[in-house]
Parts: sequence; C-alpha cells; structure tokens
Amino acid sequence: MSDEILLEANDITKAFGGVRAVDDVSIAVREGTIHALIGPNGAGKTTFFNAISGFTFPDHGRVTFRGTDVTRTRNWRRIEMGMGRTFQTPSVFPELTVDENVRLGVRAHAKQAFRLRTPTGAAAAAVDARVDELLGFVNLTAQRGRLVAELAHGSQRLCEIAMSLSTDPVLVLLDEPMAGLAEAETERIVGVIRDLRERLGLTVFFVEHNMRVVLSLAEQITVLDRGRLLAEGGPQEIAANEEVRRAYLGREVLASA
Amino acid sequence: MTQGREIAVFAIALVVLAFGPLICPLIQLDITILSEVLVTTLAVLSVNLLLGYTGLPAFGNAAYFGLGAYGAALSVTYLHVNFEFAVLVGAAAAVAGGLLLGPFLLRRRGIYFGLLSIAFGQVFYFIAYRYTDVTGGEDGMNFPRPSLGPGFAHISIKEVQFYYIALIVFAVAMVAFRAVVRSPFGRTLVAIRQNEVRVRYLGLDTDRFIFVALLISALMAGVSGALFGLLINFAYPLILDWHQSGNFVLMMILGGAGTIWGSLVGALIYVIGKDIISTITPLWQIFLGAVFVACVLGFPRGIVGSIGALVRRRAVSEDVSANEAFDANAPIEVGRGV
Amino acid sequence: MLHDLAPQLFNGLVLGAFYAIVALGLSLIMNLTGTINMAHGSFMTLAGYLAYSLVLRGTSFWFALLAAPLIAVMVGVAVERTLVRPLYRREPFYSLLMTFGLSLIAEEAFRLIWGANGVPFSPPAALAGTVSLGFMSFPVFRIFIAVVLIIAIAALAFFLTRTRYGLRLRAAVQDTEMIAALGTNTQVLYAVNFGLGIFLAGIAGVLAAAMLGLSSTSGNALLMPAFVTVIIGGMGSLFGSVIGGLLIGLTISMTTLFIPAASEVSMYILMAIVLMVRPRGLFGEEGIFG
Repeated sequence: MSDEILLEANDITKAFGGVRAVDDVSIAVREGTIHALIGPNGAGKTTFFNAISGFTFPDHGRVTFRGTDVTRTRNWRRIEMGMGRTFQTPSVFPELTVDENVRLGVRAHAKQAFRLRTPTGAAAAAVDARVDELLGFVNLTAQRGRLVAELAHGSQRLCEIAMSLSTDPVLVLLDEPMAGLAEAETERIVGVIRDLRERLGLTVFFVEHNMRVVLSLAEQITVLDRGRLLAEGGPQEIAANEEVRRAYLGREVLASA
Repeated sequence: MTQGREIAVFAIALVVLAFGPLICPLIQLDITILSEVLVTTLAVLSVNLLLGYTGLPAFGNAAYFGLGAYGAALSVTYLHVNFEFAVLVGAAAAVAGGLLLGPFLLRRRGIYFGLLSIAFGQVFYFIAYRYTDVTGGEDGMNFPRPSLGPGFAHISIKEVQFYYIALIVFAVAMVAFRAVVRSPFGRTLVAIRQNEVRVRYLGLDTDRFIFVALLISALMAGVSGALFGLLINFAYPLILDWHQSGNFVLMMILGGAGTIWGSLVGALIYVIGKDIISTITPLWQIFLGAVFVACVLGFPRGIVGSIGALVRRRAVSEDVSANEAFDANAPIEVGRGV
Repeated sequence: MLHDLAPQLFNGLVLGAFYAIVALGLSLIMNLTGTINMAHGSFMTLAGYLAYSLVLRGTSFWFALLAAPLIAVMVGVAVERTLVRPLYRREPFYSLLMTFGLSLIAEEAFRLIWGANGVPFSPPAALAGTVSLGFMSFPVFRIFIAVVLIIAIAALAFFLTRTRYGLRLRAAVQDTEMIAALGTNTQVLYAVNFGLGIFLAGIAGVLAAAMLGLSSTSGNALLMPAFVTVIIGGMGSLFGSVIGGLLIGLTISMTTLFIPAASEVSMYILMAIVLMVRPRGLFGEEGIFG
C-alpha cells in the first residue's frame, strides 16, 4: 500500500430540500488500496459517490483526483482522467451485445468513437485485442454475442465492470457490486475485485452492505451514518468499534464476521 | 442483412424508382406525388436520426424543413439564384437554425427537449407569418422554379426532370444516412438512446454527439424543405408548424423508427395515402389521427421494424451457438420502435 | 400611453390567468404519469362547443359554465382509461404522439359536428358592458373571468394542500408505488388526476370561447403558450405554472402595446432567456447532467 493519495474529498456536503444527505465528509483514498465505504441505509454513501464521480456536484467541499481539483469537472471528463464507475443497478446497454457494450468504451478511449469511418487495420486490431482482453478478464468471452438484457444479473454486473475498465482507469468506483447477487455470483465478483488490485494494480473504492465481503476484502474502511463520518480504519478496528456496531441494527451483523 | 444483400436491395429499389415516370401513368398517379415521396423521405430520415436512433424527442424538425423551403423561396425571389443555389441556400438556412437552437436544446433531455423543439419551430412560424412584406405572410409566397446549371446552361426543370433530381438526392441521402448510422459515431448515438449516463461514464461528451446529430438532421430536413418548396413552387407558414413536425414523426413510426428503409416506407404510405383518401373524403384528417393513435398503441415498431423483428426471432429460434464466429462490424438493427 | 397601460396590464393578468389554468391542468397530468397531453386544447374546444350547444338549447350560461367542463371530464376519463393508461409504462413521448393524433381527430370531428366556420358565443347580458373606475373602464366579463379563474386556482390549491385525497395525489407524484402499497387505488387516482386537469381545461375553454370566439382550432391557440408556461415555470412545479402564466400574460400584453409585431414571439424570447439563465425553469427540479 503506497502513501500516495489518489482521491481526496474534503468537507463534502450535499443537501436535498433541507435534508443533508452528506454532511461535511472528508475521505482520502490511497493509491493501490481496496477501500470500502459502508454505513446503514440512508447514510449518504451513494450521494457521496455521485459527488465524487460527477453525477451531481456537492453544495460545499472539494474533490481532488490525482492532484487536480475536479469538484466541478464534467463526469465524462473525470472518466478521461482515470475514473471508472459502476452503479447499483448495472448501467449497461441492454439492447446491444456484450461485445458491443465493452467495445464502445474501448473505442472511446482510443478516440475512435466520434468518427464517421469505422477504423480498419492496426487500429481496429488493437481495439479487437483490448475487447478480447477485457472479456477474458471477467470471463464473459463465451457470452460476447448475447444481448446484455438476456444475461443473468451477475453476468450483467461483470459486463459492467468490464465496461468500467475499458477506459483504462486508475480508480474504480463500485456502487454496491454485490447487490442482488446469489452466493456463487458474489464469490465471482469478489474474485474479480481482488484481481483488479492484484493483477491490474488499480485502486478500488467501493460501497457495500455485505459485511462479510467488506471485512475480508477491504484494507481501509470508512463508515458513514446519517450523512456524517462515523469511523475510519482497518477491518479489525472497524469490527471492534462500538459506535459502528450501534449504528447498524443488531450486533449480530458484525459479531458473526 | 449482409452487406452484399443490402447493396442488392438498394440497387433494385433504385432501378424500380428509375422507371417511375413510366409506371405512374399506368396506375393513374401523378409523377409529382412520387417526387413528393422522395423529397419527404429526407425529412423523415432527419427525424429518424434524432428520434429513432438517438432517442431524442425531435418534434420541431418542421422548423428546419420550413427554413429550407423559405431559404429557397427567398433566394429565388430576391436574389434570382438558380436551382442548385436555391437548394444550397435552403440547406444553409436550416443548418444555421440548428446552430442557433442547438445550445438551447442541449441543455435538457426528454420532455423538455421535445417541447423546446416545438416552441422554437413556432417562433419561425410566427416570423414567417408576420413578415408579410418579405414572406407573403399567411398566404405564403409563390416563386418560379429556376433552371439548373450555371449562368450559361439553362436547363429548365419540368416535372420529370425534377423527379430524377429528387431520385439522385434521395439515393445520396440514403447512402449518407446509412454511413452515419453504421459508423462509430452512429453506434454511439444508438448507445445514447439506451443509456446516456453510461455513455458519459465511458468518457464521452454526449452533448457533442447530440449537437452533431442535430446539425446533420437540420441539414437533411433543410434539403428536404428546399426541394419541397421548389417542387410546389410555393412556401407557406404552415410547413413550419408543429403539426408538420408531427406528420414527419408519424411517417417515421409508420415505416419503422430506427430503421433505414422505414423512412421511405413511411413517406410512401403517408403521401400516397393522403392523396388517395382526400379524393374520397374531406375528412382524411380523422383517418390520419386514427392511424397515429393506432400506431402508437399497437404498432410502435412500424412496418420495417416489425419485419426486422420477425426475421430476428426466426434467427434466434435456430440453434445459435454463442461460440460461433462473431462479426463485430455487422449492422445493428435497432427497429424496436420509438 | 399611460392611458393604455392600465387596461393592458389588466388584460395581461387576465390572459396570464388563462395560461396559468391551462398550464396547471397540463402540469397535473404530466407530473403524475409523465403524460404530455397534446389534446389538452381539444378538450378546451370541446367544452366551449358543448357550452355553446347547451346555451343554444336554452340553458343559462351559468349552467353551461359548470356542465360543459363536467361533460368534457367524462370524455376525458373515458379517454384516459382506454387510450392513455396503456402508455404509462412507456416513455413520455408515446403519450405525446398519441394525444397529438387525438387532437387531429378532434379538430376534424368539431368541423364535422359544428361546422367549419366559427360559431358565435357571447357572454350573457348580465355580464356585458363595462365598469368604470374613474381613470379607466374594465369590461365586466373580463373581471368575471378573472374572478372565476382565481377561485378555480384557489380551489385547486385548497384541494391539494388541505384535503386528504389531495395529499394522496401529491404523495403519488413523489412515489406512486408507495401510495399503492399504502392502500390507495391508483387506477382511480389516475382517473381523478386526469379528470381534474381536464376540468380546468374545460373551464378555461368555456371562458375563452365567450371572450375570444370559438372555432375548431380555438384550443390550440392556448395550448402552445401553456406549454411554454410549463417550461418557464419549471417542470413539476404547479406554483411555477401559475407564476409562469402570469409572467407570459404580462409579457405578451406589454409587447402588444409597445412592439405589436413581436407579440406572438415574445413569450418564446422570454422562454429562451429563462432557459439561458436557469435551464430547469424558475421553480423546476434539478437535472442530472453534471
């Protein structure tokens, strides 16, 4: 784990009609780590994610990515700068094939999307190779010709992860990647997330409710409760933290971890 | 459809259409109606690009259509330009309109985009309506059809010649349209329609894509309008009205949103249908409205779209192994309705 | 000049109240189900023609003022049940297209039933004439219109904020599933909501017919300004519809006074300015494109 801070959010506040969904939250994500953001429902996790990734802009505060202030940068620009993101419900192109889904991102990154001529030759081969690589990473090569809408939920999630990688990010933001998955599918995703760091050297910042997964996967955990920062630390610290236990309904949740 | 088959279909269609002037007298159809079909197809293509492929509620394309017509009319009347120039001026006027309106339209999506499009169309409508001295106001402006060619070569254009000019423009437009929607740019538009947020989260500025699509749409509608004005030798405010936009959308739905040939099929059915029905009854508008309602409720894919869906269903029901060779550059048929 | 200013201001407010009421009806229908009712103008015209026919058959203007909108509501509820409801699950422009088709049918049907020319429809004798207030005189009928519209808007506000059903309606706009889970019959809710919107359109239709005259295309003249009102006021905001309507009414009447040629486009220019400064409209909700 390096000491370089890749993403820094300072004093982020976001209110919706009088309710402070995120209240003065500061988080630093270090390069090369797997960092989790947890908290009970309504804690403001997705709102915070939205502020970081440019889905919305915060009312107050600053977001710094790779040393640059991106607080008001357009979301597509942040992707260009090296962020990648998945959403709670897999955000994909349902009526296109898996191949097409991944290909668009690869083309975008290769600056070939805004073109009238379909590239041929070396450029096309490079795109093909990259698409193959990404599909192989999430093990969807066999499904590449199928429409995403027809895939199982877990496979859609994997497709989305491949898409978020297609733009060569250094930071991957995963919003509840395990949401709605069966046990076996969850294991698969956990493996992929580990690979993101182990094999690709990426930094992962993810929101999750599945405590068992969080405690086994994350090196650094930030806890939010009702929009405010509650605790921060490694898995053992957080599991032992009384306030965190109290914030979640029932101690069984952490006791069984 | 494979590329070879597509070219074959296109070639056959062109050949059949080339015999138009010979077929028309046999079925008691005026050649100008067929010209109108070809010219109107361009306007339907323009709506199809924005609505059928990109998923934007393009309900104001009559504005560009009308700008094209008035551009031609005004340049012929006051500047005495020849035929090609009239079309050029009309197209330029339409694109200028697109450049002007684009920044506003880009700020919103969904219903807002649709309502804004309509509203802007109405502005041009009222300008044409009010500027009686220049545009002839409510009564519109008649203008003579100029001849083709540079100063020295005056090729006067009767209806048959006009038809072949329209046919050439139609052919070029279809080829260009196909090139656009099959290109990486076009495929991004299709993706935008399905999930614009995800396109942005792949690092693409969707506003840029939509703006260019808007300009291409304006250009096609402008050429369509200019030719239409030159066809009937008349430009009038109602071609700028949102009802006209609605007619284009209806043609697109009838033929098939998100398909290339749907635009022609829709224009064909509308123009010829209107021609036939209005000779039978003055109440053809009730027919039109009823077709609209029926289409939206029960037939959203349109004719070409429904055929496409049938073909796809047959292909899927055969045993298609996922490991089979996959052609990444095969055409994407959208055609799933509006 | 000042002599003309006061009556024009008054006219602007009356016009604005019209736009506000029509926009409110549109907004109500739009907010709950996302339906864009391009046939809203047709319902206005329908109510106008019905009132005309009722008066022709001997009923009083007052009776027609209430009965015509109610009949229009019955037609509206039938339309909602059969044609509009199937489209709720689809994207908003399906409803826009379908109701557009309806408006075409309606326009032709009006021509068929009541003739292609306009029909004469004037306010009752009791409301004719003017009232003098020293420096200027106001047409009594316009004052009456203003009063009726204000009462209608106030009644709507009361219904939505102070009655239980009104509260349910507003809650349903936020979260229809939740309201259904809590026991409200959403099918009835949709019908009531639509009917309410049509009722407002109906009242505006009868009053507009008496004030401006009646023909098969009457309704459409108020429809576009109503849409512009919704855009300026902001989508999702009923209050915005009222303010937007008044703003547009005043803008048009003032422009008619000073720059008559630009009177029709003035509201579009206003719309462009508002959208440049505040794309979501004056009181609209935030968009999601960062």
